[in-house]
Amino acid sequence: MKKLLISLAALFVLVVAKTQDLRTVSGTVRDAADQPLAGVSILVKGSDKGVVSDQEGKFTISLGPRERALQFSLVGYQSQDITIINQTILDIVLQPGNRQLDEVVVVGYGTQKRKNLVGSVSKIDPSETKSIPAGSFDAQLQGKAAGVQISSNTGVPGEAVNVRLRGATSINADNAPLYVVDGVFINSSSLQTVNTGGKATSPIADINPADIETIEILKDAEATALYGSRGANGVVIVTTKRGNYNQKPTVNLNVSQGFAWAPPLWELATGPQHAELVNEWWVNTGNSFETRPFRPVSEGGRGLPEEQQTYDRLSEAFRTARLANYDVSLTGGTKGTRYYVGGGFNQQESILKPITFNRASFKINLDQRISDHVQIGVSNSIARTFRNQARAGDGPAGGLLQAALHTPTYLSPYNEDGVLVGRAGFDNLTLLLEHYNVKAVSLRYIGNLYLEAEILPDLKFRSSWGVDYNNYDESEYWNSYLISGSPSGLATSSVAQNVNWLNEQTLTWRKRFGAHTLGVLVGNTLQSNEYDRTYLEGRGFANNSFTKISSATTITGTENWSKNTLASFFGKIDYGFRDRYLVDFSLRADGSSKFGANKKWGYFPSVGAAWRVKQEDFMQHVDIVSDLKLRVSYGVTGNQNGIGDFASQGLWSGGASYQGNAGISPQQLANGDLRWEKTEQFNIGTDLSLWQGRVNVEFNYYRKYTRDGLLELALPATSGFGTYWSNAAEISNRGFELSVTTENFSKRDFTWITSFNIARNVNRIEKLATPLQYGSRNLILQKEGYPLYSFWLYKELYVDPQTGNTVYEDVNKDGTINADDRQIIGSVWPKFFGGISNQLTYKNFDLGIFFSFQYGNYTYNHNRFFGEAGGARDAARVIFAHNYHNRWQKPGDITDVPRPDGVNVNNYRDGGSRWLEDGSFLRLRSLTLGYTVPRGFTSLIGIQTARLYVTGSNLITLTSYSGPDPESSANSSQNQPGIDLGTPPQPLNVQFGINITL
Amino acid sequence: MKQVRYTFTLSVFTLLLASCSKFLDVDPKESVSDAQTIFDKTSAEEAVNGIYSALSSGDYYGTGFQSIGYLSGDNVQWTGSQSQIQEFINHNVRAENATISGAWSAIYRTINRANQVLTKVPEVTDPQLTPALKDQLLGEAYFIRALAYFDLARTWGGAPLITSPTSSVTDNVGIPRSTQAQTYAQALSDLEAAEPLLPATTNRYRATKKTVWALKARYYLYNRDWPKAEEYATRIIEDNANYKLVAPYSAFFADNARGTEESVFEIFYNGTTEINNHRNQWQPQINGGTRQWAPSNAFVELVNDPQIGGNRNVLVAKDNQNRWYGNLYYRSPGSDPSYVIRVAELYLIRAEARAQNNDLSGALADLDAVRARAGLSASTAVTKEEILLAIENERRLEFAFEPHRWFDLVRTGRATTVLNFTDERKYLMPLPAQQLLIDPALTQNEGY
Repeated sequence: MKKLLISLAALFVLVVAKTQDLRTVSGTVRDAADQPLAGVSILVKGSDKGVVSDQEGKFTISLGPRERALQFSLVGYQSQDITIINQTILDIVLQPGNRQLDEVVVVGYGTQKRKNLVGSVSKIDPSETKSIPAGSFDAQLQGKAAGVQISSNTGVPGEAVNVRLRGATSINADNAPLYVVDGVFINSSSLQTVNTGGKATSPIADINPADIETIEILKDAEATALYGSRGANGVVIVTTKRGNYNQKPTVNLNVSQGFAWAPPLWELATGPQHAELVNEWWVNTGNSFETRPFRPVSEGGRGLPEEQQTYDRLSEAFRTARLANYDVSLTGGTKGTRYYVGGGFNQQESILKPITFNRASFKINLDQRISDHVQIGVSNSIARTFRNQARAGDGPAGGLLQAALHTPTYLSPYNEDGVLVGRAGFDNLTLLLEHYNVKAVSLRYIGNLYLEAEILPDLKFRSSWGVDYNNYDESEYWNSYLISGSPSGLATSSVAQNVNWLNEQTLTWRKRFGAHTLGVLVGNTLQSNEYDRTYLEGRGFANNSFTKISSATTITGTENWSKNTLASFFGKIDYGFRDRYLVDFSLRADGSSKFGANKKWGYFPSVGAAWRVKQEDFMQHVDIVSDLKLRVSYGVTGNQNGIGDFASQGLWSGGASYQGNAGISPQQLANGDLRWEKTEQFNIGTDLSLWQGRVNVEFNYYRKYTRDGLLELALPATSGFGTYWSNAAEISNRGFELSVTTENFSKRDFTWITSFNIARNVNRIEKLATPLQYGSRNLILQKEGYPLYSFWLYKELYVDPQTGNTVYEDVNKDGTINADDRQIIGSVWPKFFGGISNQLTYKNFDLGIFFSFQYGNYTYNHNRFFGEAGGARDAARVIFAHNYHNRWQKPGDITDVPRPDGVNVNNYRDGGSRWLEDGSFLRLRSLTLGYTVPRGFTSLIGIQTARLYVTGSNLITLTSYSGPDPESSANSSQNQPGIDLGTPPQPLNVQFGINITL
Repeated sequence: MKQVRYTFTLSVFTLLLASCSKFLDVDPKESVSDAQTIFDKTSAEEAVNGIYSALSSGDYYGTGFQSIGYLSGDNVQWTGSQSQIQEFINHNVRAENATISGAWSAIYRTINRANQVLTKVPEVTDPQLTPALKDQLLGEAYFIRALAYFDLARTWGGAPLITSPTSSVTDNVGIPRSTQAQTYAQALSDLEAAEPLLPATTNRYRATKKTVWALKARYYLYNRDWPKAEEYATRIIEDNANYKLVAPYSAFFADNARGTEESVFEIFYNGTTEINNHRNQWQPQINGGTRQWAPSNAFVELVNDPQIGGNRNVLVAKDNQNRWYGNLYYRSPGSDPSYVIRVAELYLIRAEARAQNNDLSGALADLDAVRARAGLSASTAVTKEEILLAIENERRLEFAFEPHRWFDLVRTGRATTVLNFTDERKYLMPLPAQQLLIDPALTQNEGY
């Protein structure tokens, strides 16, 4: 640490300030149609001085005595150089150019123009999706980038989503990508500890999407190798908004209000239907009709089926939810300072009571030029996220949908004494909704301080410090009306802190020698992540008015602490010849505190090459092709996330007390050889641009192979231990990605752009000694030769029309159906997935239509398993209408729903394939219609631009899945996706908004 | 000037490199390295507490192992939706059963902790660890290991015998199963080792010489050595200053009772750092439980019959939806003791041993002592067979929700008859399927 401080101090010594005499040039930039152009970058050639034109296209810039030329550039326009002799006023007209090629893309530790990219990088402009009501920006990006699979597991805003770039590489280490926000490697693992039935909150939801300027997704090894340690799952680089030098202060205000509602929910059997099925089951089981459960009360029964009531609990649990969003920002800059100040407040109710998500955020980004050669800046964002949580997943106690959906419809919420009671082992829904009290408050600061200095004309030094601080405060209170709080109340409080700091130095040198360009980058980072949690639990409250642990009679507590560090050194050399042939080589060394004493360091090389075919002489006359590039890369990246901080150490722990006296016990065995999980990746791709960039095509084919996969390997129990961490698995992913963007129309009054992307990934476990079971009832099996997350089921062939019994495939032909007959049937992986978006403008109107799709994946409808037991569970579970209407009743009936029967229990066996459904969907992810109020009108009241819009999301979903949402998954943990149980669907919603720039 | 800049930059990187190796050494605070674990009096005592803690864990005497003993009998029905519990009731337990694998692992975890103590405590040189205390600690470790092997033998038959601590991933794996007789013999040899080391004091929560005698009585009953079973049972029963049948039946557990004179060995849970979640399976929702395990209709009828259940009907109660639930484990937060050996068992062990030895009057006296405590009149059994059946039925009621019924019917060979199934190979539980997969040295019991 001390040494780091010295290094920083040393940097400031390097700062050399200069002052010179200046003269001023000002002017206006317009396009060919004479419209002012804002955001044009105006650079003094031979220096790094520059300004940006304002909303009216105006700019002012000072020149030194020897500075003679200005360069005007804007994405989508041809750059223009102007030599200044003695002009002081300039009128510049920029001609349209190729938007795509000149686009600046953020890559590892720098930026590049897209035309010079060697790696595979997707750039996303979040403006199109930021109105989709999801807590976190990653949830909004589904279908936006090829090869990036995003699954929203639930309709609860602010919950974790699964993001997978080019498949999944690990079983027990983390498969989520690395998130880098303004240079800070942020924590993306939930700090939630309260049990919400397998769900977890998303730490990404602490970031206000309105503050984001661009999102870059680095996919292949060339692009990710510089982030070696976690590059294996891809890197998501988030750049937040900054001001521009010499820009007038601009205020932007965005307000929207909306509503969300549920898609069609589950269809349940009515009370009489339920009773009828129970009676049928009773008789089919061999009991006498006279003793059937639903017989007249006078005969000692529960009343005839037709006398039963139907209680609708689903309508009680769901609501039309309110959505509101307020964002305000101020951007601008003076000669030496630029700033962005943003504030936001976002309010989202879930359609499932009483869940809410609120976020208040505040952001300041500042940059200051200290001299012509030195710049210093900060990024700061602070957010407070408030959640009302509830168990919207698995688990009886406190389970909302288990109480609302799984309780039989004929059961009254009241007992004979008129008191509200829980039924079927679940809580009473009314009491649950009234008394639910689970809250989580996340306080998050993400900040970065950097200094950039030009040591020599071609040599730049940059040093930065980043901090990601997260305070996560949770509390629960279960009063005595609820199962968890019986008999006298239960309160818990958990306060966790996660502090992640990062220090980074880079030195870049870039020079052009005639036809050659050469760049060198070297750097290092040091990172540390420290986690600390204090937990208190109190039981035994005097009555329900006391809700704080201080009033409890029994109080217990615990404290957790963990820390890991990472030291890295990296370097990259890139070489270009005539802008045609580009090659680069990079190497990163990462040392992690998590690994065994001699295996801490991992080395991650990569090499990439690109050939800009269009620059060749023979392509010059091919007018239709405006650009063509071939790319190839190979490299190795690593993974260490998700394993315990002390996974390689042999440990004993305390806490094994007896009679209240301290006790110690063995905790885990050492593995001194525990080392990095490594993924090799090969990528070949092409970028093609046709008709002056009106059609752009990007295609990639990749193969990934992961070795030394981190695995909690099972040890024979005779050792006294369950598992130990080892490097034992091998997994491969291969696939392709295609994206096409076309400018269908580009007239002044009418523009129409279509973007389409599609990707396919094939995942396979190449090596795994023993299969691993995951998920409720072991529905998922990880087995060598099959994809990760494969469903392990009993295959139901048909319902015998003669007997009404389900016939299963007897895999080993031994005449009985047992666990040996389970087989892998399908997986959660789609055959392909992607998105298609259309952006249209007509005069002042704009229209965005965006679909995302997924094809060929399976979802296990576990709700149906419970709801289709055909009366066997009687008062213990609901019956679905499908079961009632389609059950086998008499010989000759052709159906897939067997007869209700307690003799042949196989008819509703755990893990039957009947409930595995096609989870393919095509979803209208967002539909936005906007109207920009004519400038002539708004300028009268001092407004630069005003846009009114209405936007809807998830309005249409085409799917054959029988549940409300094919994406639902009860559990956020990575090894049990695709099991739909007790999870609220993603809502449909409409929002109205206005966006004003002052 | 340039030179200076380069020097600075270079030195920055050099400094960072040098500091790296230290930077990457991070040690946990919640745990300690396993290099030095048991080295003085305190750590020796704490390691022994750790063995008790393993014995008390949810998969062993907390809930899991106990449930194998009573779910497989005929007193309990299952109201949940997971089939693994129903497998016990149907006497068709599959090798994938999670309760089975949990119990198997928990027992070996307990054995490893005992082995750590048995190997490391003798080497401790701390003068504060007196020879008497050292003996006691070793004796406790031997006793718990004996109980663990006894439980392995009666549940699975032959088991791998592990008597040294595990300190690396290659230790104690790939060990084939011994026979059931060898496994029982290991339990007995551990009891013999424990007996001279332990003091002859009375402690209902920890092992003493008397606890060893009580387990020996049970051991000899299972191994049909009637005279020895009687001898060791008598040692406890005659110690009536310390052990007696407390009356009424509920006195040993109701009203938060613990450590009563009924108890020879019960596992202690303080309800804060040591939680026994057993209650959650039994108590109804209104009491914060799940009532997934409920008394069977047949048992409810028996226990409520004043001629059969007597005052033992306190074992069941009704909830707000008029459903019966078991009420032996009820404390919230979970601090119900796990009853391992009660004096009532020693009476019934002696009754059975005497009956088998044709001391019928002696047998009836012991049986009636237990019946009298339950508020019942003397048994009407006369012949040896009648008396043995009466003892069997008495045990069903007396230990309704304790792990006895299944093991009793298996050791007498009457399980197929009484519980109405055919395949005697099911008398032994299957070895966990996952264990067979990861350790090829293991073989499955026949019939699975």
